Amino acid sequence: MTRPGFEDRSLLLHAALDGELDAAGVIEMERLLAADPQLAAEYARLKALREAIRAKAPRERAPDSLRLRMMELAETKQAPRREAKTARWRDPPSWRSFAAAMAATVVATLGLQHLIASSNAPDAALQAIVSAHMRSQISGQPVDVVSTDRHTVKPWLAGKLPVAAEVVDLAEAGFPLAGGRIDIVAGAGVPTLVYKRRDHLISVTELRAEGDEAAIPRHLAVEGYPVVRWSDGERAYVAVSDLSPTELDAFVAAFRRAAAKERGGGGGSGAGK
Amino acid sequence: MTSETARRNFAEHVLPHLDDAYSLARWLCGDATDAEDVVQDACLRALKALEGGVPVERPRAWLLAIVRNAAYSWLGKNRPRAIVLAGGAEEAEAHADALETGGSPSPEAALIETADRAMVAAAIDDLPLTFRETLVMREINGLSYRDISEATGAPIGTVMSRLARARALLAQKLGTAP
Repeated sequence: MTRPGFEDRSLLLHAALDGELDAAGVIEMERLLAADPQLAAEYARLKALREAIRAKAPRERAPDSLRLRMMELAETKQAPRREAKTARWRDPPSWRSFAAAMAATVVATLGLQHLIASSNAPDAALQAIVSAHMRSQISGQPVDVVSTDRHTVKPWLAGKLPVAAEVVDLAEAGFPLAGGRIDIVAGAGVPTLVYKRRDHLISVTELRAEGDEAAIPRHLAVEGYPVVRWSDGERAYVAVSDLSPTELDAFVAAFRRAAAKERGGGGGSGAGK
Repeated sequence: MTSETARRNFAEHVLPHLDDAYSLARWLCGDATDAEDVVQDACLRALKALEGGVPVERPRAWLLAIVRNAAYSWLGKNRPRAIVLAGGAEEAEAHADALETGGSPSPEAALIETADRAMVAAAIDDLPLTFRETLVMREINGLSYRDISEATGAPIGTVMSRLARARALLAQKLGTAP
């Protein structure tokens, strides 16, 4: 096995596998592989090894708790984000939220089919959800039922709405539950959960998914608030907060994981190292 | 008090690579909780370095170099034997036969493909530290030779021979039936 140049050729093989050869090197390698079946077999082994590592020892996700602690390191105390948000408001916020709330109330009161249909546009629903979030903050009453226990919030919502809301415990991920409330979207009551992050609140509203709803979270800004909308099959969720978009993303990721676990009965492939 | 610029650079250069940092720490110290401590320590070091105005050209390699240093300090304190073994690996490297598979049978590509998660993980865990870190940086973090060289402080030629050696050991372990 100690033919002269063996080591060089072997290193060349690895460099080829790693995409570190220049064009001339690639051509030389192809020539060598065609001429030497032993070298070609070695190359096949290396490729199989790479596949095995990629498939069975993938890059791991940093735990949410760690991610959040590190995000806090990057956060400023002067909260410049808040100023940026105010600058994006085109009208005084109280008026807009009041108008949107009024619109929702009108729909709820009249219950007219065509009105509901027209407000089915995602924008109207999002607008109503964001308004509800804003109103909840202004009024100082973010929740109708105050509880950090999902086993209290879930039955409370179930008793008032025709749908059973998904309530997950995210305290470990750094988002303790604050409670729940009922918002009005397109004329119907929908469950909204409120989670806490330091002194910020996150409202998550559950809706029926629209037909073409994508599972991939969509990021929007409504009234200057970061909003994330995603769907998990039949249900769609809208999360609103005055947290930074990155933290809201971390929240959404934690929520989706917990909800998937809940649905899958704790199963899943999380048995990795 | 940390400056606004340092925090912004931290958000820009460090936060996007947390998964990479965690994965590397996880393979270097072998335990999830310890890896969290190591990454946290590394992030604090990174923030301090940014505060000192260090220019960062290749953020991922730069951060992983800090994670590696943090992991080595952690290992030195908690698993001094691992560091000793790393020294042994350096010696093995010096031998010209480092790339030979010796007299043992040639590992089979088909067998390598059938290895399960636990086998792959155990085989990587068994690699001497310097080989393991090089392999993890290449295959799991996806760094280029140049980035690995920057992160480990080893010349590119050394990176290449470590990688070849690590793969030979893994293929041997996974590709020959027990």
